[in-house]
Amino acid sequence: MSRRLRPVVMFCVAMLLVAVLWEGYKAIGPEKGGEILGFGILPRTNDQVMPHVWSMIGGMFDPAQRTGGDTVLQVVLSGAWYSFRIALVGFAVGVAFGMAIAVVLSRFRLAERAVLPYLVISQTVPLIALAPLVAGWGGKLQIGDWVWPRWMSAALLGAFLAFFPVAVGTLRGLKSANPASLELMDSLAASWWRTLITLRFPSAVPYIVPALKLGGAGAVVGVVVAEISIGLKGGIGRLIIEYSRQATSEPTKVFTSIFGAALLGLTMAAIVAGIDALLMRNRPRETTS
Amino acid sequence: MTNQVAAVHAVEIAGLNKIFNAGKSSAVEALVDVDLRIAPGEFVSLIGPSGCGKSTLLRLIANLLEPSSGTVLVNGKPAATARQDQDYGMAFQQSGLFEWRSVVRNIELPLELKGWDKAKRRARALEMLELVKLGDFASHMPWQLSGGMQQRVAIARALAAHPPLLLMDEPFGALDEMTREHMQSELLQICARTSTTVVFVTHSIPEAVYLSNRVVVMSPRPGRITEIIDVDLGGERDEGTREDSAFYGRITAVREALRGVEMTGGARGIEDR
Ligand SMILES: Nc1ncnc2c1ncn2[C@@H]1O[C@H](COP(=O)(O)OP(=O)(O)OP(=O)(O)O)[C@@H](O)[C@H]1O
Ligand SMILES: [Mg+2]
Repeated sequence: MSRRLRPVVMFCVAMLLVAVLWEGYKAIGPEKGGEILGFGILPRTNDQVMPHVWSMIGGMFDPAQRTGGDTVLQVVLSGAWYSFRIALVGFAVGVAFGMAIAVVLSRFRLAERAVLPYLVISQTVPLIALAPLVAGWGGKLQIGDWVWPRWMSAALLGAFLAFFPVAVGTLRGLKSANPASLELMDSLAASWWRTLITLRFPSAVPYIVPALKLGGAGAVVGVVVAEISIGLKGGIGRLIIEYSRQATSEPTKVFTSIFGAALLGLTMAAIVAGIDALLMRNRPRETTS
Repeated sequence: MTNQVAAVHAVEIAGLNKIFNAGKSSAVEALVDVDLRIAPGEFVSLIGPSGCGKSTLLRLIANLLEPSSGTVLVNGKPAATARQDQDYGMAFQQSGLFEWRSVVRNIELPLELKGWDKAKRRARALEMLELVKLGDFASHMPWQLSGGMQQRVAIARALAAHPPLLLMDEPFGALDEMTREHMQSELLQICARTSTTVVFVTHSIPEAVYLSNRVVVMSPRPGRITEIIDVDLGGERDEGTREDSAFYGRITAVREALRGVEMTGGARGIEDR
């Protein structure tokens, strides 16, 4: 029990520490910002740029619109929830695609040499540049009555960032199967498919788990950036942009939206941690710090 | 019926050659002109200096390698057919257990691939666990067992489908002397009870003599059989056998055969224990 509780306690302590540092700097830092060696790198500490922690928390419960209605927190939470569902779809698609690619590449040596460089190159394309392109293609897609929904472009971009670490991790994992075990499967006249399912995939699990962590984070970043880039309404990405424009009049709003984005990332991390625990049960583990 | 079974050899190797990387400058003549017949129920050990082709010979019998020329018959069938029919079980120096499967599920693996149903599989696996005296460890994970226990699980797995032939490549290499002797006795008992034929690779002369009906002595570069030594110790083998003068006599015979190998090829890696 205490082992489960520890990360929670650590998290709370860390948050508290951040708040203390924030208020501490705000108390002693220069009001108008400062220069070190001629560079203006010390942030200003006025309430505009660095609102008090308590006014941030208080601001969460102000109505989001001047006319009243839902509070900022409610709006941010529902935005985060919207983005989270998209990120989850992106993550699932990215993981499935990444694993499928890894299986194909592990099966055909030649394919690995031919395809892997392209996968690496694909990851160097900036997401910001890719997002409008994907949204543009999606907008033209229409099969019968079915029209490509705009959120799927964001999901696809999340998948785009998620699949790469999963593909690379899975590929390495599939190849990590113990030669003695492989020979055993051969001696039992097991088919390639059977060997994949009973030996190669389970051997790959310790490699897949950390890849999922990277993939989960990638999916969240991909979706949030895509929302901003293609102007998708309803998600947290859009709220961050919207609220930062209102920063002069309501400076605390933007912080609430950043918390929302952080919460989104944390939830994804928690889900991946759950998958980790599920897959790695009954496995020998070095004590993880 | 009995006559017919006796007529079929458990393993029949004729004119066998194996050249790795044939045609290239890195070509290795791993085996040259190997002929060997092994009767059902016989225990045969392969011994010889490192690199003389013992593992290669075992893998050829298992059809994990293709011969360059010559034939390998297992139970009168081509080796490839025998592999498809799971006519042999295999155990290596590394146990090759699946760490994500419990002990009992590791033993079930060959039966799973044979398409046995779950209840039958479980019953047989538990029976095999009793045989290797690990009945209490069915639901343990392999990494919770000692090296010797893991090796016993690997042997139970090799025996699970009751294959008529057992191929073992230095299975006790990683064990301490006491465990090793204990495992040797257990292996002999199990094989006698299940009337399994065994081809056993080892580096240890006493181990080969203690276990075998015949010891096949091999020499390297090129790998071939130089001598086959009969080991008739008369009656059951038990711990007393190890102090027997006949036992020592046979050890000396194998050692001399290996010394002959040393003159010609240079023996390395033979343990005199
Ligand atoms: N896959 C392979 N490719 C090329 N050469 C090989 C291969 N496997 C074995 N050899 C060569 O064949 C020869 C016999 O090897 P093998 O593994 O059968 O020896 P061994 O008698 O089992 O030796 P040890 O006692 O060290 O296990 C060696 O010279 C080795 O280098
Ligand atoms: Mg060997």
